[in-house]
Amino acid sequence: MIREIITYPTPPSVEYATDVRVFNEEIFSLIGDMKDTIEANSLDGLAAFQIGSYYNVVVVKKEQGGDFLELINPRIISQSGKVTTVEKTAYFPKLSANVTRYETISLVYQDRFGNQHSLKADGDFSILLQRKIDYTFGSSFLNKLSKEEKKLFTKKLEFGSDVAISQSCPTIFKRDYITKAINALMLAMIILLIGSLFVSDETSAQFWQYQTYLFYGALALNVIYFFYAQYEGKRFTSCTSCQIGNIIGTAVISLVKFSVIMLLSYFII
Amino acid sequence: MARLVVLGGGVSGHTAATFAAKWLGSAHEVVVVTPNSKWNWIPSNIWVGVGEMSKEEVTFDLAPVYAKAGINYKQAKALSINPEGSELLNKPFVTIEYTLAGREGMTENVEYDYLINATGPKLNFGATPGLGDANGLGEFTVSVCTADHAVHANEEFQKCIQKMKKGERQKFLIGTGHGLCTCQGAAFEYIFNIEHELNKAGVRDMADLKWISNESFLGDFGVGGLHMKSMGFAVSSKIFAESLFTERNVDWIIGAHVNKVEKGKVSYELLDGSMGEEEFDFSMLIPPFAGVGLKAYAKDGTDITATVFAPNGFMKVDANYSAGAYENWRASDWPKTYQNPTYGNMFACGIAFAPPHPISKPMSSPNGTPINPTPPRTGMPSGIIGKAVAHSICDRILQGENAPLHEASMAHMGAACVASAGKGIFDGTAAAMTIYPVVPDFEKYPGTGRDTDYTFGEIGLAGHWIKHILHHLFIWKAKLKAGWTLIPE
Repeated sequence: MIREIITYPTPPSVEYATDVRVFNEEIFSLIGDMKDTIEANSLDGLAAFQIGSYYNVVVVKKEQGGDFLELINPRIISQSGKVTTVEKTAYFPKLSANVTRYETISLVYQDRFGNQHSLKADGDFSILLQRKIDYTFGSSFLNKLSKEEKKLFTKKLEFGSDVAISQSCPTIFKRDYITKAINALMLAMIILLIGSLFVSDETSAQFWQYQTYLFYGALALNVIYFFYAQYEGKRFTSCTSCQIGNIIGTAVISLVKFSVIMLLSYFII
Repeated sequence: MARLVVLGGGVSGHTAATFAAKWLGSAHEVVVVTPNSKWNWIPSNIWVGVGEMSKEEVTFDLAPVYAKAGINYKQAKALSINPEGSELLNKPFVTIEYTLAGREGMTENVEYDYLINATGPKLNFGATPGLGDANGLGEFTVSVCTADHAVHANEEFQKCIQKMKKGERQKFLIGTGHGLCTCQGAAFEYIFNIEHELNKAGVRDMADLKWISNESFLGDFGVGGLHMKSMGFAVSSKIFAESLFTERNVDWIIGAHVNKVEKGKVSYELLDGSMGEEEFDFSMLIPPFAGVGLKAYAKDGTDITATVFAPNGFMKVDANYSAGAYENWRASDWPKTYQNPTYGNMFACGIAFAPPHPISKPMSSPNGTPINPTPPRTGMPSGIIGKAVAHSICDRILQGENAPLHEASMAHMGAACVASAGKGIFDGTAAAMTIYPVVPDFEKYPGTGRDTDYTFGEIGLAGHWIKHILHHLFIWKAKLKAGWTLIPE
């Protein structure tokens, strides 16, 4: 029976067996379902965990012949070499990540009759087995990623796509500096407004003069912000969502604040 | 007046004896027979083994503590038990041999009404050629199983640091010295404390660290691993352990039965049947445990050791020893009262009781060599069991022989473990874990066999602080200082 492959963000299962203890019809039926699901989805292999079963079972296609290899309670007991490749897994459809794995592994497992076997694997087959065995211990390849790769992959998860993630995002955008300058001007205008309450009329008139200069400066910075932010947004399309909406919103809110300050200044100063 | 004899003064025996003395008062007698003059807080030995604590900080003299508690302390080792008495003595008795200075070698028959066997293990270094022999630790490796071993380990460790400072690269091999070891946790703590100290000494780049163990996956710890909820997943300790080992640049060999130790080299067999060798400059390998070799005799002198003890030398209790294959294992196989099935006035607790089977999956190589961790009975469970057994015996003494026995099955018991990964007030780390139940109950908790709401783990600085606080707290408790009964096991 073809079973549904559980995909992110649904956890495959929060309860699963550490090991199969009883080798019975339930396990044989599960293995059959895994094979059907692999064929139907043209996959290389599946962990039972990926179809919502909590048994420690992995079924993979053999390297040659297209036949299946059934691994029950597999354990990687030795490993050598490191290799980083781009991996995909059915749990994160359409997404890929650079994962560092062991080049060669040796593992022990049981067959459907409970007999123990050992196996050495290298190359792509080794990587496939490592990925599937990780699932049997409750982990996707997310736990195997480097810090940088995990950060990038988290972004991919957010956008649901590999394609857009072609560059890393800067921690601070240049447009943020313009926003800081606008905020500084706003602070200066507020200080002048409050200060005008405590000074003579003559000084107050001077304050009004400064206030207008600051207002024009703020207007100019908002215009620069509006256009530059759009340019920068196009350079880093994948870094935040709703870029244009954010830019318009930031500019409008800023202008409204300045208008309110100017209005108050007009009546007070 | 009834007499309770406790064999062993470790965590379990000391807990049992001190609580029994408190509950029984002066109307009855509690006797402790232990070959050691000092009590040792074994979990802190790993800090002695890297020079972060002295032997004096992890041990104290037993005599004044037992004198204060009104316990009759005999510094001696038990040789045999006569649970039916003998032709000369009607009451059951234990034959002991003194180790106390001035009385060494003298034997005595100590009669009892109730007996608690809490002898702990024999450190069976002789099980692996080269690891040691019947006399104990060999010359090629070190150990942190006792405070004296840990002092010796630190001396060797400091020599390695000096060599590295002179530019000589050193290889550290830490783990288990046999396919049937337990206490992987102690070795785990030691390798990461070594790593931490090497960093502090500024010679980490001159050291290669390698872990070797009989676990079939990293993070098994003899309890089949544990599963912690993380982002909606129940993630195995394997994943967390592998991350830690990778982060600290510690390589590993697992599924290994060390079958020979030579100068600077171990030979091992893996679960897939392959053989390998690993060289080392410094190696700490935990030995397998066995019973201390107590004999048992019937009234007529017949040897009944096989009736009282399991083949591995641990005492039989109310466990199901005929569970058979892995698929038949049940949580209910594990003992509840720790009463010997043949002699109702004998109990065993801590490492001294014979477990019905391992907790981890039993595995063996194609050559037939069993390679799997044996079940841990140390730390928190051993204290809880010791107290429960003392409670049962006190009830029977005070309320009569039909008083119900207290239960403390490891299949119904949770445990907390704090594993140090480096000592330091601001840069220390420790992995704090809780596990419930210790023995998985697959019927009650299908899947992992454990309640994932109560099984979790975290690593960080706070864990180290907890570990350090526990060190002082448990020594305070063991010294029977004010409020000791309020401190949990």
